[in-house]
Amino acid sequence: MRRVILVCALFGGAFGFVFAAAGFNQYDVIHRMLLLKDVKPFLVMGSAVGTAMALLWLLERRGWTTPLGGALSLRRWRVEPKQLWGGVIFGTGWAITGACPGTASTMLGGGSLMGIVLAAGIIAGIALRDLAAKRTERPKIAPAPDAVPVS
Amino acid sequence: MIHPLSIPIPWWIAGPLMGLCVAGFYAVANKHLGISGAYVQVVDFARGRPIEVWRLWLLVGTFLGAAAAALLGGNPQAGFGYGVLGDLLSLPELVVVLFAGGALIGFGARWAGACTSGHGLTGCSTRSRGSMVAIATFMITAVAVTLLLHVLTGGKL
Repeated sequence: MRRVILVCALFGGAFGFVFAAAGFNQYDVIHRMLLLKDVKPFLVMGSAVGTAMALLWLLERRGWTTPLGGALSLRRWRVEPKQLWGGVIFGTGWAITGACPGTASTMLGGGSLMGIVLAAGIIAGIALRDLAAKRTERPKIAPAPDAVPVS
Repeated sequence: MIHPLSIPIPWWIAGPLMGLCVAGFYAVANKHLGISGAYVQVVDFARGRPIEVWRLWLLVGTFLGAAAAALLGGNPQAGFGYGVLGDLLSLPELVVVLFAGGALIGFGARWAGACTSGHGLTGCSTRSRGSMVAIATFMITAVAVTLLLHVLTGGKL
């Protein structure tokens, strides 16, 4: 358990460092990207996905066993309407704040105090969504598993 | 003050390094790198539900990593600044707007199952169809709303 926590902190640290080094914890950088005035953040995201996709594809094909978590099993979501509904709401918040959940903690780490306000808002939004989901829950139907297991 | 790190670093360095974090985290710990899950743990904890502690450590890591980057490369947005949005709004207005916007982000990420990291970076990398739909929706909406804000504010944003 202690090793897992250390690995999480280390990978979180590396991710946060690159995230901030790419300027992703700055409103102006993300805002210029969303205004389509600067394509570099898109290139960062695209090349990140390209790199990770290729590596994960190789690891999965070789039947990789991870040192800390057993056989590699990649998490996948099937297409559902919730990605559209949630996506539109998320995208609106992203446009207004120039931030995403990774931004709040990296802004704060980088000394931007507004990260606290963002984090509080994100937590409030999650709590609201959980309340809304509880209200519309139908107890007769078993909840669908979020992730589709991968063979 | 002279900084040894020039931010932003070139995209062709930042992108592959970010990809290495995503793939490496899976390769070592068999875990899906996503940040919004950490905030979900806070809500679950408050509701007395069991939590996944590792997600909180991932979040703590991002905080420390960003602090290291700011030490080496500075941060133009340090303190109460918030770029051109901070120039446009007074501090109380900014706090209200960021809290409301943050709530939309949390609500939407919870509903969609993950955020820009969990769906956009990691989900797309695991070739998750749902993640591709989610990030496409995030992007299209965010660009459309940003362009709308640009027009509504007379080009100030």
